[in-house]
Amino acid sequence: MASMLGKRKRRGREITKKESREESEGSDASGLDAQEIFRRHFEAQFKPLPVARQPSKPTDEDSADGSEEESDWGGISDNEETEVQVVEHTEAQARTAAMSKEELKSFMSSKLPKSAPTVSVLRDKAGASIEDDDPSEAANLKKDLALQRLLAESHLLDYAKSSTISGSNRHKATDLRLQALGSKTSILKQEKMPMSHRKGIVAKKTEKEETRRKEARENGIILEKAKMKKSIEGKRDRGVGAPGVGKFSGGTLNLSKKDILDIEGPRRSSAGRGGRGGGRGRGKRGR
Amino acid sequence: MATPAPEFLRFTTHKSLTQRLVLSTLTGRPIHVSQIRSSSPTNPGLAPHEISFLRLLDSITNGSVMQISYTGTTLTYMPGLITGSVGTGGGGDIVRCVLPETCRRGVSWFLLPLCMLAPFSKGPVNVRFEGEGVITSATETGDVCVDTLRTAVLPLYEQFGILGSKLELRVLQRSCAGSGGKGGGGVVELRFGSQVRLPKTLHLNRSPGRVKRIRGVAYCTGVAASGNARMIHAARGVLNPLVSDVHVAAQYDQAPLVSSGDSSDPKAKKRTGIGFGLCLIAESSSEGVIYSADVPAPSSGGVTPEDVGKQCAYQLLEIISQGGCVTRVGAPTILTLMAMGSEDIGRVRLGRDVVGTEDIIGLGRDLKKFGASNWGLRDAEDDGTGDIIISVKGIGVGNVGRKIG
Repeated sequence: MASMLGKRKRRGREITKKESREESEGSDASGLDAQEIFRRHFEAQFKPLPVARQPSKPTDEDSADGSEEESDWGGISDNEETEVQVVEHTEAQARTAAMSKEELKSFMSSKLPKSAPTVSVLRDKAGASIEDDDPSEAANLKKDLALQRLLAESHLLDYAKSSTISGSNRHKATDLRLQALGSKTSILKQEKMPMSHRKGIVAKKTEKEETRRKEARENGIILEKAKMKKSIEGKRDRGVGAPGVGKFSGGTLNLSKKDILDIEGPRRSSAGRGGRGGGRGRGKRGR
Repeated sequence: MATPAPEFLRFTTHKSLTQRLVLSTLTGRPIHVSQIRSSSPTNPGLAPHEISFLRLLDSITNGSVMQISYTGTTLTYMPGLITGSVGTGGGGDIVRCVLPETCRRGVSWFLLPLCMLAPFSKGPVNVRFEGEGVITSATETGDVCVDTLRTAVLPLYEQFGILGSKLELRVLQRSCAGSGGKGGGGVVELRFGSQVRLPKTLHLNRSPGRVKRIRGVAYCTGVAASGNARMIHAARGVLNPLVSDVHVAAQYDQAPLVSSGDSSDPKAKKRTGIGFGLCLIAESSSEGVIYSADVPAPSSGGVTPEDVGKQCAYQLLEIISQGGCVTRVGAPTILTLMAMGSEDIGRVRLGRDVVGTEDIIGLGRDLKKFGASNWGLRDAEDDGTGDIIISVKGIGVGNVGRKIG
């Protein structure tokens, strides 16, 4: 009788609640029939109940309700009710014991089976949502990782709150993780761009640095030493097999006057030895 | 040599012959067995499987001498050193053991005593069983199947300090008992790569705990693979209300192909070793406690897979009800290794019905005859299970080969 209709149930609960209140008000009321008190109380507030006589005890009420239900139906006779019919349900196609693939592999391998099958973290994909009360070691590891990432990347989150760039945020998080794993360059660094852009960027950078230094100097703040710009020494590397002289562009090797002079070397003119001052020296420098 | 003539320990009948041979090899005392099936008018003397076991013993030991009388009813065995499969030649480091097709015992009958010898060997013991007599399934003669051996018996060795990662039992070809319960055609390879100087002292006297998980293997060889599902379903029907974690693997194989033995056509082949069966393993919440049950279909046929599954489940329940930490299958192994351990007292808790079997009592008597000390038996008084705690004092024989080499 526990699973009666919803309405009845609710009424029953109401009764018990009121009952407890009544008991708290006065102990003498508990001596009376609680059901009767409730009925009176109910009828005082609403209209009289249709049922003429309420059974005295709640258990009786339950059985009365049951009989009510049955009276509507009245299908089976008594002698049929007494004998219990046993139905054995046998399925021909059985759901075979679904051992997980890993467990099956470890159990049927030639080695001894492990007493406790371990769950690998890597294979636990798709099950991204782990229950909070999952006590397994793998779940704990996963939670640890998530927490560490949250701590490391939380500074991205308050920036994200102001704007609506979640995608770029994701890229930044990926970049952070990559660098933590040992990546040399950032994935956000743009490799190719027009030279004018690059120049602009570099110019802006140096300008910023200059203003910073200037302001610091004016305010008497001592800054770190400026990094000396590395000057390109000697000749630039031309690569293997490339012509060692001139400028190659558009399929032609263009030689400037200077190149030609270098190749020719110092001119032995009859004009006189000291005619051209550095002639010799220049020739030497050009190898 | 000035050494006196060795004193033979005298035994009669073929009963627990392998056990005695193992104990003789481990303790180094020669034995003399007489009246081996002497009363049988048709098949007197040693049976084919016993001869095969003697051959196997010969190939993994060095210097052992065995003499068999003309009728085969008397056997004299003087043990040598257990060398394992090193330096035996013949195809790498593996010993081949060919079983004849008249063999009626499952391959686990050979493997169980072999595994008892293997920890005391000088080198690793790698043995491959092949031939027309290898039955990997459980048999009607009472042998367990290789899956039970691997999942229920070999884990017992880990408690003696033997590395479980170095033990391997490969089943390369499965086979059930052939027609008339004879022969099979399977191929099984044992690799026992962990040797010890002395097995650790075992203290398995705690409460056996409660069964938390049931595993198993259903195997069909040469019959319809749907039998697996039927066996598993029937077994689960019995076990599911009792344990929720029941998983049984299904294993289907083709029947092995062996030569038909037809002299007119030597190339002719036939299928043999057809059958099916189920083995179940119950693991307890207490570590190292494993119960197992095995039921094969009889080679004469006539039972349904449902019957086999149900019978196996009931057998498992019966074995669990016997209690203790070790079953009848594992008890001889445990007790022998304990007796061979260091001179310290180990304890093991066995069910009353397990201790009361002829095998265990006979093993105790044999051990005493070989010079081991008596067992101490007492009731486990902590609960009303009626289990018995056996205290075994080791004789500290250990590994003679290791000591020298």
